[in-house]
Amino acid sequence: MNPIITAFAKGIKKSGVKPSRISVPSDIPFEPEVVKHLGVDFFHTIRGRAIAFGTGLKLGNPDLIVVPFIGDMMTIGGNHFVHGGRRNMDLLIICVNNFVYREIGGKSAPIQKCEKEQTTTQKFSPYSTFEKPFNATHLANSCGAVYTARWTALHTDELANSIAEALNKRGFSVIEVLLPGPNYYTSIKETDSNLLNFYYKNSVIKNGEAPRFVTITPKEKIIVGKFIDKERPTFIEQYNAQLSKTLGDKFTPHGGKNG
Amino acid sequence: MKASTKGILTGTHNLSGNEACVEGAIAAGCRFLSGYPIQPAIEIMQRFLERAPEVEATYVQMEDEISALAALLGAVWTGKKGITATSGPGLSLMMEHIGLGVMLETPCVIVDVQRVGPSIGIPNSPGQGDMMQARWGSHGDYEIIALSPSSPQEMFDFTIKAFNLSERYRTPVAIMADEYVAHIREKVVIPPAKEIKIEPRNYYKGPKDKYLPFKRDKNFIPPMVDIGNGYKFHVTGLTHDDQGYPIMNEECQEYNVHPLMWKIRRYVDDIIEFQETKTEDAEVVIVSYGAPSRTALKAIKQARKSGIKVGSLKLDTVWPFPEKRITELAKKVKAFVVPEMNYGQIVLEVERCSYGNANVVFVSYAEKEVDNIDDLLSAIKQVIKEKEARKGIIEYHT
Repeated sequence: MNPIITAFAKGIKKSGVKPSRISVPSDIPFEPEVVKHLGVDFFHTIRGRAIAFGTGLKLGNPDLIVVPFIGDMMTIGGNHFVHGGRRNMDLLIICVNNFVYREIGGKSAPIQKCEKEQTTTQKFSPYSTFEKPFNATHLANSCGAVYTARWTALHTDELANSIAEALNKRGFSVIEVLLPGPNYYTSIKETDSNLLNFYYKNSVIKNGEAPRFVTITPKEKIIVGKFIDKERPTFIEQYNAQLSKTLGDKFTPHGGKNG
Repeated sequence: MKASTKGILTGTHNLSGNEACVEGAIAAGCRFLSGYPIQPAIEIMQRFLERAPEVEATYVQMEDEISALAALLGAVWTGKKGITATSGPGLSLMMEHIGLGVMLETPCVIVDVQRVGPSIGIPNSPGQGDMMQARWGSHGDYEIIALSPSSPQEMFDFTIKAFNLSERYRTPVAIMADEYVAHIREKVVIPPAKEIKIEPRNYYKGPKDKYLPFKRDKNFIPPMVDIGNGYKFHVTGLTHDDQGYPIMNEECQEYNVHPLMWKIRRYVDDIIEFQETKTEDAEVVIVSYGAPSRTALKAIKQARKSGIKVGSLKLDTVWPFPEKRITELAKKVKAFVVPEMNYGQIVLEVERCSYGNANVVFVSYAEKEVDNIDDLLSAIKQVIKEKEARKGIIEYHT
């Protein structure tokens, strides 16, 4: 997680956003002292529910910038992700993808690559996995996300730039970060740094690539970059517009500076 | 603190229980609702949406009940008071976040308009089958407060009470209504704002860098702050210390979780409320809550006409359970009769707290109209003939 936190800290600085305005609901535990140094408010919530929790934070106080960090976004948090995108809820999702459920010993996750080459030796998937994975970027785009990017954890500067950009963007933004999980490629030794390097070297930057073409497969290079950056009214904007239209002066629109 | 006058419809109205609940919430200062539509609680969401613009409240229809309660917890941390309404199937989904609400000590109100189950059951048929679920449904050890209204007026009053309790004890509070109470229309008197007592949030007042989100004050309740103000706080659903930092050992488990119990248990006498009718000379006491307590009052009159001294103990607070009062009464009376719209839940608690000193008779309203008093009367007439206290719960078959 450390390279991602570093990039997050850099991104906050670069964006010019006051850290006290940022709140982070997360389903991944952070090192608490790190949170203090970042200067944000932090909620470690239930697995997969950070987007739902963040929706409440944002609606409760539209001045906040809410950045859910999510480890298990595509299974248990899948529905929240899909509907967050549909509503265009003003959240910046940092999706940490290590292809496996690392904390519980490497059970395959639904954004794992799926090919014969893959031979996780972890006890939960001794025979590898055969299920088709999600292409998270493509899914986000289909649901209505206004900003999508993918970087490996070693693309610190690019990741920080993306985070800075997305912090100042209104709407449902998704940044997928590839972080090494337990042994994934047999040819790579089972250390994080080797894998980290492997991801980094095995990637190719293609900004603006159509999301449907960025599926991760073991045979091809991992495509990283900023894929989507568009404008669409956010949930709060749509809410305000609809109620103003119906009620006229009787309605006081929600939202502050960032609403 | 007195209620803000904004949006309070002072006066006499003809309201359904669900509508009265929304008026209670608005009077209590609730300005956020996140929900997922379900019968028979749907009118709560509908009326809140209608009333929201006037009081500058926010609502959102979430994708399911899981996220409804998650969003509610989030909104509460921004300084709002919030409510969600559901029925049994939705309450099942909310269990996960009731646990988180307890662990993060987040005040919020959950209305469960009970219908019959299990599973989907009958959406528009009244039931009281979620009473034990409300108490024990989420995993791990915790205490919860649950109120049970029996009329639209009580829906109004208890909703305000629920918000006050949740703020005072920093805990989720459940309103365990039922379809009968939710849909019946009756006179509801809404008092002027100055007569409505509101419990303000217990805010932290010290320096920003000294704030500890779970440091208990002299009343045993940790003060809160609103997020986004530079407190840089960390809270977690993991076992944590005063700072909200996860520490996963037995010592911290005791330090963290035991007070979650005790912050409720030490105040049971302040929390628990009940209404007693003619218990002074009673030989038989009907213990009831929710819609059946309306029938209980009718049954007392009838029974007294035929010469049996019957009283009523109506539970306003179901959880924590009024153990002390039941135990006291058990020594004085011959029997308790417990009518419930289920197959026996709160009767288990009544039996436990009687310690064998009084007979405990269960009358199930699971399959009959709630205003039928015949079975209740027949149970009273039979139990009065019992010579001594029998073990266990008695059910007479008619």
